[in-house]
Amino acid sequence: MSNIIATNNFLSDLEKSILVALLDVIIPADKARGLPSAAELNFLEYLEEFGADHVPKIKEELGELNKEALDKTSSLFFELEKDKQAKLCDLLRETKHRFARTILVQTLNCYYQDSKVLAAWGRKAGAQFPGGNEVPQGDLTLLDPVRKRGKIFRDITDE
Amino acid sequence: MPEDIVDVLIIGAGASSAAAAWSLSDTKMRIVCLEQGDWMNPADYPSTKKNWQILRDIEYNQSPNIRCRDTDYPINESDSDIAVANFNGVGGGTILYSGHFPRLKPSDFRTKSLDGVGDDWPIEYNTLEPYFSQNDRNMGVSGLAGDPAGPYHKPPLPVVPMGKIGEVMGRGFNKLGWHWWPSDAAIVTENYEGREKCINLGPCNFGCAQGAKGSVDIAYWPVNQRLGVELKTRCRVREITVGKNNMATGAIYFDEKGIERYQRAEVVIMACNGIGTPRILLNSKSKQFPNGLANSSGLVGKNLMLHPWGFVEGFFNEPMESDLGPMGSCMLSQEFYETDPDRNFVRGYTLQITRGKPPVSIALQHTLRGDIPWGPEHHINFEKYMGRSVNVNVCCEDLPEESNTVSLDPELTDSDGIPAPKISYRVSENSNRMMEHGVDRAVEVLKAAGAFQVNPYGRTRDTGWHLLGTARMGEDPGKSVVNKWGRAHDVKNLFIIDGSVFVTSGAVNPTTTIQAIALYIADQMKKNLANLFD
Repeated sequence: MSNIIATNNFLSDLEKSILVALLDVIIPADKARGLPSAAELNFLEYLEEFGADHVPKIKEELGELNKEALDKTSSLFFELEKDKQAKLCDLLRETKHRFARTILVQTLNCYYQDSKVLAAWGRKAGAQFPGGNEVPQGDLTLLDPVRKRGKIFRDITDE
Repeated sequence: MPEDIVDVLIIGAGASSAAAAWSLSDTKMRIVCLEQGDWMNPADYPSTKKNWQILRDIEYNQSPNIRCRDTDYPINESDSDIAVANFNGVGGGTILYSGHFPRLKPSDFRTKSLDGVGDDWPIEYNTLEPYFSQNDRNMGVSGLAGDPAGPYHKPPLPVVPMGKIGEVMGRGFNKLGWHWWPSDAAIVTENYEGREKCINLGPCNFGCAQGAKGSVDIAYWPVNQRLGVELKTRCRVREITVGKNNMATGAIYFDEKGIERYQRAEVVIMACNGIGTPRILLNSKSKQFPNGLANSSGLVGKNLMLHPWGFVEGFFNEPMESDLGPMGSCMLSQEFYETDPDRNFVRGYTLQITRGKPPVSIALQHTLRGDIPWGPEHHINFEKYMGRSVNVNVCCEDLPEESNTVSLDPELTDSDGIPAPKISYRVSENSNRMMEHGVDRAVEVLKAAGAFQVNPYGRTRDTGWHLLGTARMGEDPGKSVVNKWGRAHDVKNLFIIDGSVFVTSGAVNPTTTIQAIALYIADQMKKNLANLFD
């Protein structure tokens, strides 16, 4: 499922496996909408280019998640069935306010700048310049009641 | 080699400086402007980059304390309810502003006479009217004539598109019988004076790559340079020097390499905004001016006004593509601008309607709040918010109080060792009551417009965009720093033309008024050239 490139070596194989599973828990694919899973994006490449400062914290969060999985289920996180992964994450989010916060933020940053994702939502991916966007003028006749009411400011010559 | 003495030395290259330099250029005087920052390259702005949505976090952050470019100076704002926003470079704050361009109103210049608060200005709206119009032409202002909330004026360019959110919100305001109007915006909606029209890139306040937004590095400075004005970048002024006759003699500054330089001048004009100008004046201590230059009144750095700012966000069922279009310029309501004795506060506020957030911001905000869950339900809930949000901003008039100050920090300095400014600022009780009223009205109009969810965030801290009042104008030298045409009472060849000279703040974004004042002061200087120092 994942196409995370193997050349990014700042995470161990174990960490990558946990990450792929977690990304799919956070944002799974929605085929009907043409939306990929977060695990299908080049998240590590994104991190390398735009979020390298966050890698230590991400490693820490992955380690915490796996420890919780081992403590609570005696399994590695990525080896759990999908619904058990989600239930464990729900539990940890309820009990630990900042659970996987850095991974979540970076995942959303990566996901909602991805060209396939943005296209599915009807938005242009990448640089907005020079293409720009169309915005309709809007119906200015809606101002008729405002015009009809007349002046509302204090003209000091009237005071 | 003869000494290099320029006729006019302007400190700072932002909104006011650009306008004044343009006006003064027809005198053929030698005009030199010193700017501590760089020229901006529009090709570097976030909207030219694939990751434009997140670049605002650091590099184009509005806070100099986060941005930390080497052209920035730090600001100690630990004793302030509101954090300062600015930009240091050619264009100044206009690089990151939204181009929202409403004018002050006639009553703003007479708050003492009309409402018993603040002070009256020594000038009035009509004094500035021709300069507002001139500046509209120079900046390329778009708008719709006939707004009944202010004196009639006709912007030179057609109004910025409201989009569907304008229609939805307009119907909401109409349901309540409240005023609303599409905003005047310093954004060209047609090709104009060599600038290409707006193409709705969206993030105006990360810098406009198209050049459609009227930042003054685009709208004024290229013209000024063709007219002979010299602009020197990476020149950070430490102090204004004075001679034995109490006249300003020039400025000491550090160049790009940190080497101390001196520029002599016949006239010095301060244009560094409501924080930077008092900072330099307070740093300019001498035997004649031991408390800082032009500070015999003790009012340099006092009466800081920042416009307390509140946010209310609403979400609608119908898709509106509200994230597209000029971010800060859509429409406004000035239903509650003027004093109403039936309310529990004096003066008033503007409701500024701005566009929705881009995808990353929507996802972050609502996932962290719990509105958008993890898992299979993520997408359907993201859809509820994406392109369907509207922000109603509450811009409150901030009244002058001497306890709100810019002073010099005893320890903090910039990279050249110049003492940094310290802000001490508290939001007043009047402003708090006004804000509460404004937030309630914002909620009311969003609900009237059909929002299914309204989040009233209230007053927020990171909104100190408007830096006003710290070298106020007035007739009485004991109660003001400059006279009615911007000349320091104490130093007859020192002028101040930025937001520092505001006597009261009004309840609108101040750039158009700042520039009108700068053009007015420059015009007064030209009219009085023969006896400028009398």
